[in-house]
Amino acid sequence: MISHLRAPGWYRATFWTLVSLGLSWAILWAANGFDADAVTGIGFAQVALLAFPLFFLGGLGAFDYWFYWASGRPTRPEDHSGHGATSWQDYFRINTDHKVIGIQYVVTSFFFMFVGGLMAMLMRAELAAPGRQFVDPGAFNGLFSVHASVLIFLFIIPVFAGLANYVLPLMIGAPDMAFPRLNAVSFWLLPCAGVIMMLSFFAPGGSFASGWTAYAPLSVTAPPGQICFTIGVQFAGASSIATALNFLVTIITMRAPGMSFFRMPLLVWANFSTSLLVVIATPFVAASQLFVLLDRALGFNFFNAAAGGDVLMYQHVFWFYSHPAVYIMMLPGFGIISEILAVKSRKPVFGYRMMAFSLLAIVVLGFAVWAHHMFVSGMQSWIRVPMMVTTAVIAVPTGIKIFSWLATMWRGVLKLDTPMLFALGFLTMFVLGGISGVMLAMIPFDIYVSDTYFIVAHIHYVLFGGSLFTIFAGVYYWFPKMTGRMYNEKLGKLHFWMTFVFFNITFAPMHLLGLQGMPRRVADYSEQFATWNMIISVASFALGLSSLIFLYNMVASWRGGKRAPANPWNALTLEWQVSSPPPIFNFDHIPTVVGGPYEYGVPGAVHGVFESPATASAEARQPAGAVSSTAKE
Amino acid sequence: MEAASVHHHGPPAANRSSRVHPALLGMLLFIISEVMVFGAFFTAYFFIRVVVENAHWFPIDGVDLPVGVASVNTAILLSSSLTLHWAQTSIKNGNHTGLKVGMLLTFLLGATFLFVQVNEYIVLTGEGITPQSSAQGSVFFALTGLHGAHVAVGLTLLAIVTLRSFRGHYTPEEHDGVEVPGIYWHFVDIMWVVVFTTVYIL
Repeated sequence: MISHLRAPGWYRATFWTLVSLGLSWAILWAANGFDADAVTGIGFAQVALLAFPLFFLGGLGAFDYWFYWASGRPTRPEDHSGHGATSWQDYFRINTDHKVIGIQYVVTSFFFMFVGGLMAMLMRAELAAPGRQFVDPGAFNGLFSVHASVLIFLFIIPVFAGLANYVLPLMIGAPDMAFPRLNAVSFWLLPCAGVIMMLSFFAPGGSFASGWTAYAPLSVTAPPGQICFTIGVQFAGASSIATALNFLVTIITMRAPGMSFFRMPLLVWANFSTSLLVVIATPFVAASQLFVLLDRALGFNFFNAAAGGDVLMYQHVFWFYSHPAVYIMMLPGFGIISEILAVKSRKPVFGYRMMAFSLLAIVVLGFAVWAHHMFVSGMQSWIRVPMMVTTAVIAVPTGIKIFSWLATMWRGVLKLDTPMLFALGFLTMFVLGGISGVMLAMIPFDIYVSDTYFIVAHIHYVLFGGSLFTIFAGVYYWFPKMTGRMYNEKLGKLHFWMTFVFFNITFAPMHLLGLQGMPRRVADYSEQFATWNMIISVASFALGLSSLIFLYNMVASWRGGKRAPANPWNALTLEWQVSSPPPIFNFDHIPTVVGGPYEYGVPGAVHGVFESPATASAEARQPAGAVSSTAKE
Repeated sequence: MEAASVHHHGPPAANRSSRVHPALLGMLLFIISEVMVFGAFFTAYFFIRVVVENAHWFPIDGVDLPVGVASVNTAILLSSSLTLHWAQTSIKNGNHTGLKVGMLLTFLLGATFLFVQVNEYIVLTGEGITPQSSAQGSVFFALTGLHGAHVAVGLTLLAIVTLRSFRGHYTPEEHDGVEVPGIYWHFVDIMWVVVFTTVYIL
C-alpha cells in the first residue's frame, strides 16, 4: 500500500489530492486565526480548486523528473520507459510520447464535445416552444454558459493542439516535441480544468451563468459556481500556453535537414501562427479572470465603480485575448484544410507563400480588432471606427486563403471521400460565416443585431461550420495514421451529409430570427418565433444524432477496421512516409527534405528521403565534395 | 520490423535546425507570455488611473507611496542583476568561487528586496491603504504583488542554482542551468523598472 502511495500513479494522485484539500482547509484555518468556524465553504472551494490540480499532477508523476533534478538527486536516465503505449492503461498515466499525448488530447476533448453537445440538446429542448419546458431560466443561463466554455476551452482549442501534437513532429521530421515532459503536463492540466468547470453544477446557486464572456460586474456578484469558470480558465489557459511554447520551440529548433521554413507543410505554418497568438494573447484571459477572482475572494476593487474601478476594463482585457482566440480556434483548421485539399485534388497548394504570409497577417491584424465586440458597451464611441476598419481588413488575408483553396482545386482530380467532403463543407460554411462576420463588423448593422440570434448564427457558422468541420476532416484524414486502421467510408459519408444538412437547418434560420429581433441567451421567446424554433430544435436533435454515427464509426473502426497502409492517401508529407501507426520514435533515421510538401502531379516529385543530408544532396547533384564526405562515413 | 529498429534504445537525435538552444528559446517565449500578463495588469492600471471618470492617483487621503524607500529597493534589485552577471561570467571562465559568491550575493539581494517590499506593504496597510480601500490600492497591490510573486519564483530558481553551485555542479562548457534561470531573473529586474516607473515615479 505504502509503495503504491510512493510510486507515481493514480493512488498517489488520489492521496495527494486529498492532502491538497486538507492543506487548503489548514491554510484558511490559519489565516482566520485558527478559528475553524470562520472557514467558509466558498473560501475553501477557492483555495482547493487552485491547489488540487497541482497536487494531482504531482501525484500522477508530472513533476517527478524536475523535482529529482532540482534537489540534485540522480534523475532516472532517459530509458524512454515513459514513451509509447502498449495497452489502454498507458493512456492513463504521465506519458511523454507526443503520439500518445496527441491521442489523449483528442479523445479527452471529444469527450467534452459530447458533454457540451448534450447541453445544447437540453437548451434546444427548452427552446422548442415558447414558455417553460424543461429547465428554469437560471438553469438555462447556466447551460449556455457552460456549453460555450466547455466547447471553446476544452474542445476546440485543445483538440487542435491534440491533432497537431500527433502529426506536427512527424511532419517536420522530429523524433518528439522539444519538451516532452512539459507536453505531458499541458495535457493533464486539461482534464483538471474540465473537472473544475463541471463541478460548478454542484455549487449552491447553480453553475456559472454569466455566459462564457463572464462580464464584470456580473461575474463578481454571481453565485459561487462562477469561480469554477474563473479558476478553470486559468488551468486551460496554462495548458494551451505550455503547448504553444512547445510547438514554437519544436518548429524552430527541430526541423529535419532541408526543411526550410518555406518547405514546411501549411499545417505547421498554421500551428506556428496559432502558437504565436496563444503565447501573446492567452495571458490576458488569465489576468482578466484573476482580476475577477481578486475582486470576489479578497475584496479588491478592480470593477467596483464606487471605489474608482472600471467595469469596461474587463471587456477590453477579456477581448484582447478572446478575439485572437477565434483565430486560435480557426488557424489550425486552415492548416488541416490546406493539407487535405492539396492531397485530395492531387495539385500543389496554390500560392503557398501567400498562404503562409496570410496566416501571419491574420496573427498581426487579430490583435487590432478586439473592441468590435464592444460596439454597444458604452466605450468611447470613436474607438469603434478604427476597429470597424481593421475588422473589415482581416477579410483580405482570409480571402486570400479562400481563393487559394479554390484555385488549388481548380482542374484538380477531386477525390470526394469523407475528409474531402468535410473540407469542402468547411469552405462553403466558413465563407457564409465570414460574410456574416463582415456584416457584423459594420457598426450600424452590429448595433441593430447586437445580442440577437444573428450573433448565435454567426458564431456557429464560424465555429461549427468552420472549426468543427475542419476537426472532423482532420480526424478522418489522420485516423489511419493514428490508429493503424481505416475508418468506415460509408458511415463517414453518412456522418458528413447528416451533419451538413442538419447543421444548415439548425443555424441558417437563426439569421432570420436574429434580424427579426429574437434575443439570444434567454430561455423564453414570443409566439411569433415559435415555428422556426421548433424546426431548429428538431434539426438540432438530428444534428446531435449524427455525432453518434461519428462516435460509432471511430470506436468500431479503431477496434476492428481494416488495417491501414502506411500511405493510404498517396500524400507526400513526412507523416505518411512512416508506418501506420508510426514507430515508437517516429523515424529510425531523421529524414532529409529535398523538395516542397505539395508537389502533387509533378512527375518524380519527392518531399523527404530517408537518407543523411550528405547522400541526399549528392543525389541532387551537389558538388562532388559532398559525395566524398559521405564516403568517409 | 527491421532488426535495426529493434535495437534502438532511444530516439534518433533530432536535427538542430536553429543555433538557438531550445531551453533558451523556451524561456524567452515564456517571458513573452509573462510580459503579456504584466501587460494586462498595466491595462488595469491605465484604466483606473487615466480612463475612468474622476481618475486620480496617489497620494490618496494624504498617504503617498514611499518613493524614497522604493528607489533604494530598486537599486538593490538592479545590483542583483550585476552580481548574477558576474556569477555567469565566472563560470564561463571556470571560476567556481566567483560563481558561488555571485549566486549567494544575488540570492541575498533578491531576498532583501522582497523583505523591504513586504515591509512597505505593512506600513501602507497601517496608514489605511489596502487593496480593499480603493481601486488605486487594488492596482498598487496587484501590480507590485504580481511582481513580488515573480521575485519569489525567481528566488526559488536562484536558490536551486546556488545550492547546486555549492555542490560543485556546472562547468565552463555546461552551465545552461545558470544561464536559463538567469534570463528569468534579468526579466524580473527589468520588469521592476517598468513597474517602479509607472507606479511610483509617473
